Amino acid sequence: MSLFDLWLWPLLAIVLLPGILVYFGLHVVERGVIFVDLALAQIAALGVCVAIVIGTHQGHHPHTYLWSLAFTLIGAAIFSMTRFHHARVPQEAVIGIIYVVSAAAATLVLSRSAEGDEALKSLLLGDVLLVRRSDVLWTFFLYVVITVFHFVLRDKFLSITFHEKRALPMGGARLRLWDFLFYGTFGLVVTSFVQIAGVYLVFSYLIVPAVCGALLSARILGRLVIGWAIALVAGVAGLLVSVNAEGLDLPTGPTIVCMLGLSLILSAGLARLKRT
Amino acid sequence: MRTSRSILTALLILLPCLAEAGGGLKVVATTPDFAALIHAIGGDGVSLKIMAKATEDPHFVDARPSHIVSLNRADLVVESGADLEAGWLPPLIEGSRNKELLPGGAGRVLGSAGVRLLDVPEVLDRSRGDIHAQGNPHFLMDPLNAGIVTRRLTEHMCRLDPASCPSFRENLSRFERTLDERMLRWTAALAPHRGASIVTYHNTWRYFAARFELVADTFLEPKPGIPPSPPHLASVIGRMKQTGMRVILVEPFQSRRTAEKVARHTGATVVDVCQFPGGLEGTELDYFALMDANVSAIARALGGAGPR
Repeated sequence: MSLFDLWLWPLLAIVLLPGILVYFGLHVVERGVIFVDLALAQIAALGVCVAIVIGTHQGHHPHTYLWSLAFTLIGAAIFSMTRFHHARVPQEAVIGIIYVVSAAAATLVLSRSAEGDEALKSLLLGDVLLVRRSDVLWTFFLYVVITVFHFVLRDKFLSITFHEKRALPMGGARLRLWDFLFYGTFGLVVTSFVQIAGVYLVFSYLIVPAVCGALLSARILGRLVIGWAIALVAGVAGLLVSVNAEGLDLPTGPTIVCMLGLSLILSAGLARLKRT
Repeated sequence: MRTSRSILTALLILLPCLAEAGGGLKVVATTPDFAALIHAIGGDGVSLKIMAKATEDPHFVDARPSHIVSLNRADLVVESGADLEAGWLPPLIEGSRNKELLPGGAGRVLGSAGVRLLDVPEVLDRSRGDIHAQGNPHFLMDPLNAGIVTRRLTEHMCRLDPASCPSFRENLSRFERTLDERMLRWTAALAPHRGASIVTYHNTWRYFAARFELVADTFLEPKPGIPPSPPHLASVIGRMKQTGMRVILVEPFQSRRTAEKVARHTGATVVDVCQFPGGLEGTELDYFALMDANVSAIARALGGAGPR
């Protein structure tokens, strides 16, 4: 038994899975809806809570996944509906409200259940150190499907984010449909990654590489490539430090988050050098 | 992929920190209470790793790389069982790839086996809020259960390390002698308060109360793991005023502020206790020191607050 075998699946998760988050991060940063992932994850969590309570009351195994999917899609629908109401109400406010209300509602729902926090935490908050083979493979499969979907329809998805004016002639209803597809697939990616690696890591993988890319490149493809490189290096470095840090015994997720933070500082320095 | 594999392998082999020194049995204990018992039997000859800190809620433990490495190399893992570690231990053991530690394996010891568990729900109705379908897992707070568990641990350790068995048995009989002697002292200290009721945050002190003839069936939590709600606290305060309960036990990882709030309304005393060695000062890896501290703190509070 080599130590490598112990960390094989965490390593594969870190190498294979964050790529799609970096891509969605470009959208999220450009749209300025930074916390939408947390809101979607929290809505999915509410769905899981409902499934837990229904399951415990009826004594059968609830279709947890379907519940969380349904709630995620409801969240996606809300976000695509509220996009154009920003005359007085910024969308960030809607996101915040959805986050906090679904978090509070989850607490209320769970107080009807016996298992409470424990069940919720183990269902929702993964730890990248503990990923299993089946988690990584299944999530990777899902991400490949979503990647293909976004690649085939890239004109539409990129224009609704990056060229809003050009997309407007599509008309309100069509635009909302594309927005819904965007938030729906995004919700799937976020909730499945939260189950693998927890909330902090999802948020960091979404935002930090995209911001680094925006600092260093004006082109979308350039940002994507820079973001991927940073996600890969920071992730693998984080895992190595966490696994090897002598005597410190660092939890893996937070170590990777700090590595990403470090790479943002480096990118900012580099961007400054480039400008002068 | 292949290059990153070889780089990772090289780094992991080069870094010496993961090599643990010393021969002897390698034991992982999920919580510090089992660790204290193992230490009493194995002494320094056993290399011991504790997963949860004494000040950490044993229902929630964050995974660390060292947990997986220690489990990977362990001869023995000792867990409480009765679902205490159900939320976090199974994925760690799965991640450690150590087949001996899988359920039913030679290296897996269930602390609760051989102990008569209390609070086993008669009907498995989850709405009553019993997380622990197999019963209450806080059984080591009854010193006699500590004796049972220590004897079983000794058997397991002897089987895995026959050469050290004589010294294990010698340590066991010393442990048992001390336990008998302390039992008399603890019983005497609490005897004046027989029948007294105490309020606890979580349902942790049932075994302790049963052994020393106290009553501990009022909890600040409405259900295990659910934070106190105002109506529940109001009913606890009402009950305390009615029956004259004047002592609230809290552990380091529980909300002392909640206990203090209830205490303000009832004139009760908040007592800091802990089910884990190391959770109170000077009790590291020492079950007897821990129980001395718990018993004297509870006896003092009951003495000060009881009817005169």
